[in-house]
Amino acid sequence: MIELLPQAFALLLSPQGLLVLSVGTMLGIVLGALPGIGSTVAVAMILPFTLTMDQAPAILLLLAIYAGSVYGGSISAILINTPGTPQSAATCLDGFPMAQRGEAGKALGWATIASVVGGLTSAVVLIFAAPQLAAFALNFGPIETFALILLGLTCIVSVSEGSLVKGLMAGMLGIFLSTVGGDPITGEARFTFGQFQLIAGFNLLAVVIGVFALSEVLIRASSGPDSTGVLVDFKGIVLPRWAEWKGRLRGLAKSVAIGNGVGILPGTGAATAAFISYAEARRSAPTRANFGKGEPDGLIASESANNAVTGGALVPTMALGIPGDAITAVMLATLTLHGVTPGIRLMQDNPVLMASIFAGFFIINLMLLPLGMLVSKLAAPLLRMREAYMLIVITLLCTVGVFFVRGNPFDLLVMAGAGIVGFVLRRQGYPMAPLVIGMVLGPTLELSLRQGLIITDGNFGAFFTGHPIALGLTIAAAGMLSLPLIRALRSKGA
Amino acid sequence: MKILTVTAMLAASVAMTGTALADDFPQRPINLIAPFNAGGGTDLLLRGFAPHFAEAIGGDAFVSNMAGGSGTVAAGALAGQRPDGYQLGYFSITVSTIQPQIKDVPYDVDSWTPICSVAASPTLLFTTADSPYTTIEEAVAAIEAEPGKLIYGSSGPGAMTHLTTVAGFAGLGVLDKLKHLPFQGSGPAVQAMQAGTIQFFGDTEILMTRGDFRPLMVFNDERLENYPDVPTAAEAGIEPPLNELYLWGGLFAPAGVEPEVVAKLEAACEAAVNSEGFQEFAANTATVIDYRGAEEFEAFFRAQYEANGALIEAAGL
Repeated sequence: MIELLPQAFALLLSPQGLLVLSVGTMLGIVLGALPGIGSTVAVAMILPFTLTMDQAPAILLLLAIYAGSVYGGSISAILINTPGTPQSAATCLDGFPMAQRGEAGKALGWATIASVVGGLTSAVVLIFAAPQLAAFALNFGPIETFALILLGLTCIVSVSEGSLVKGLMAGMLGIFLSTVGGDPITGEARFTFGQFQLIAGFNLLAVVIGVFALSEVLIRASSGPDSTGVLVDFKGIVLPRWAEWKGRLRGLAKSVAIGNGVGILPGTGAATAAFISYAEARRSAPTRANFGKGEPDGLIASESANNAVTGGALVPTMALGIPGDAITAVMLATLTLHGVTPGIRLMQDNPVLMASIFAGFFIINLMLLPLGMLVSKLAAPLLRMREAYMLIVITLLCTVGVFFVRGNPFDLLVMAGAGIVGFVLRRQGYPMAPLVIGMVLGPTLELSLRQGLIITDGNFGAFFTGHPIALGLTIAAAGMLSLPLIRALRSKGA
Repeated sequence: MKILTVTAMLAASVAMTGTALADDFPQRPINLIAPFNAGGGTDLLLRGFAPHFAEAIGGDAFVSNMAGGSGTVAAGALAGQRPDGYQLGYFSITVSTIQPQIKDVPYDVDSWTPICSVAASPTLLFTTADSPYTTIEEAVAAIEAEPGKLIYGSSGPGAMTHLTTVAGFAGLGVLDKLKHLPFQGSGPAVQAMQAGTIQFFGDTEILMTRGDFRPLMVFNDERLENYPDVPTAAEAGIEPPLNELYLWGGLFAPAGVEPEVVAKLEAACEAAVNSEGFQEFAANTATVIDYRGAEEFEAFFRAQYEANGALIEAAGL
C-alpha cells in the first residue's frame, strides 16, 4: 500500500486530478455552510454526477465533498450561530461569542487551522494504520459503546452555563425527545400520540437548527428596535500567529486523538466526537474558565475533532469494506456502482485505487485552508447586510435547508416548535447545548444499553466484569462528573 | 407585470392538470419517490432506473427522497394522493406488506395501484466463515444444546434481515432458543458479526459476499448458481410460506389510477427494465431483475401481503 503512494500522488497532482479535488472541496465547503445540507445530503446530492466518471475521480469527488462539508459547517456556526451540520453544533458555543465580540475573522482562522490539522492527521492515520485500527474497532461491542456514550454525556455538565440543574434538565429533555418514534428493539411507536408523522421521531437537524438558529433570530427580533447594526463584523479569515498557539498545542493533539478514536467506532460520528472533545478540553485546558464566552481553545477542540473523524470513519469502511455510518455507506455504494465490490478484500483487490483514495484524502485536507479562505472571503459581503435583513435571510436558509433534507413539511413544524421552545427556555436561563447533546447521544445510548442488556440477559453488573474497555471508560465518566465537585469542595476548604 | 406572468403560468398549469387525459399522458414530469435516504440501496436502484423510465415514457422523471419510519412516512404521504400517475413510490416488500401489518400507518393492502415489479433477490441465512457450524443442521444442534446463548442480528425490528432469520429458525422450531439483537442498519450488524457478537444474520447475496461469511441456506425455490452446495430452505425442512423470501420492490401509485395510464406506465417500466443501460446497471450492482406487469404484480403483492402475516406472527411483531 505505502509503496504505491508516490504513484498515486503523481496521478492526483495532474491538472485533472487537482480540478476534481478542488471543485469537490469547494462545493463541500459551500454545501456544508448552508444550514440543513449536512454531509450525508451533500454527498448523496453529488452522487448521480459521479456515475459517468472513472472509479478514482468519482470516489475522490465524494470524499472532497465529505471533508469540505464537515469544515464548512463551522463557517455558519461561527458567523450566524447556525450550525451548518450537526457536527458543528459544539463550534457555536465559543465561535459565535467570539464573532459577536468582533473577532469573527480570528474565530474562523482558529477553526480553519484546527480543521486542517485534524483532517491531515486523520489522513496519515488512515494511510498507515487502517487495518490494525479496524481490527481494534471490532473490540467495540454494544457494551463498550454504551460506556463511551456515558463519557460523552458528562460533557452536559461542562457546557451548562450558569445553572447545572438547568443544564441537566435541558439534557434530559434532549434524551427524552430522542426516544420519540419507533422503539429500536421492538419497533413499536412510542410517544407519538397517534401522530403518524412522529413514527420516524423528531428530525435531529430540524431540532438543532430550531433551538440554535431560530431561537437566536427570535431573541434578536424581540430585543428591540436596534435593527440598523450588522450582526457580526467580518471581513475575511485572520489566521492565528504562531506565538498564539503557545499553550494550545496539547489540547489540539488531544482533540485530534479523540476525533480519530471516535471516528473508527461504528455508530458514533462527528457530532459525538466534537462534544466529547469539547468536554475534555473544558475539563483540562488552562483557559477553561473562558469556555462558552468565546475561547479559541473551545473552537480548536470541536473543529479539530470533527474533522479528524472523517479519516477515522474511513478506517473500517476501507479496511473492512463495512460502512460505519450513512456517509461511508454512500461511498461504498459508489464503489459498487463502478463495479468494485466492497468487502474485506477491498484493499487487497484494488491496491492502486485505494492508494489514490488515501493520497487524495490527504490533498483534500491541505486544500481546506486556501479554499476555506476563499469561500469566507466571498461570503463576507453577504454578512454586511443590516441585521434585520440578515435575520430574515437566516430564517429563510433554515427553512429551505430543513425542508430539503427529507422533503417533509412536518419537519418545518418541528423546527418552528423547537425554535419557540428554545426561545422560551433560553430566556429562562436554560442552555441549549445540553439539549442538543442529549438528542445526538440519546439514540446510541439507548440502543447500546438495551443491546448490552440482551447480551448479558439483563444483568447490568456484567457490563463491567469482563469488559475492561467499558470499565475504564465508565471510571473516566465518573471522574469527569465528580471533578467539578471535588474542585468546588477544595476551593471552599482553602 | 411579473406577478401577472406568474399568475398566468400558475393558472395554465392548474388547467393542464385538470384536463390531463390518458391520451396525452404524461404532460408533466413524473415524481419517483424513494422512501429512504439518498444513497441507500433503494435510492441507488431508483436513480439507475429513472433515466431509462423517462426515455421509455417519452417525458421527464425525477427521483425525490422522503425518508423516515422504515419507509412508512413516504408511503403514508403518497397513499390517498390524487391517482393521476404523476407520483409513484418505489416500495419494497417491507414498506408495502410488512410495515402496514405491524405499525399503525395510514395505508394498507387496498391503498395502491401496483404498476410493476422491478427487482427481487432471494435472501440467505449465514454465519461467519470461521464459525463451528458448517451446515444448518449443525447450527440447529448447537442452538438446542445451549438454549438462550446464541444470538442472531438484524438491521432493525421488522426489517427484511430480521424476517429472514425468523423464517429460518421459526421454520426449524428453534426461534425461541435464540436471542435477537437489532442494529441500526446492516453495516453495524455485519461488523458485529465479524466481531463475534452475533452468530447469525440474513440478507441478500450481494451483502453476504462483502464479508467473510458462510451461507447456511437460501430462501429461494432452487439452489443458487454461486452456491450449489447450499440447500434451499425447503430442502432444510422449512414448510411454506416460510421457505421462500425475496427482497422485492416495485412501483406503486395511489389506488384508483385510470387503466389507460396504468398501461402506459407499465409499458414504460417494462421497456426501462429491459433497456441495455439498466441491465448493465443491474449487473454492476448484483440486482436481480424480476419484472412483473401490473396485473401479475397486483396478484403477487396481495399474495405476499397474506403470506407475510404468518412471518410477522412468528417474529412476534
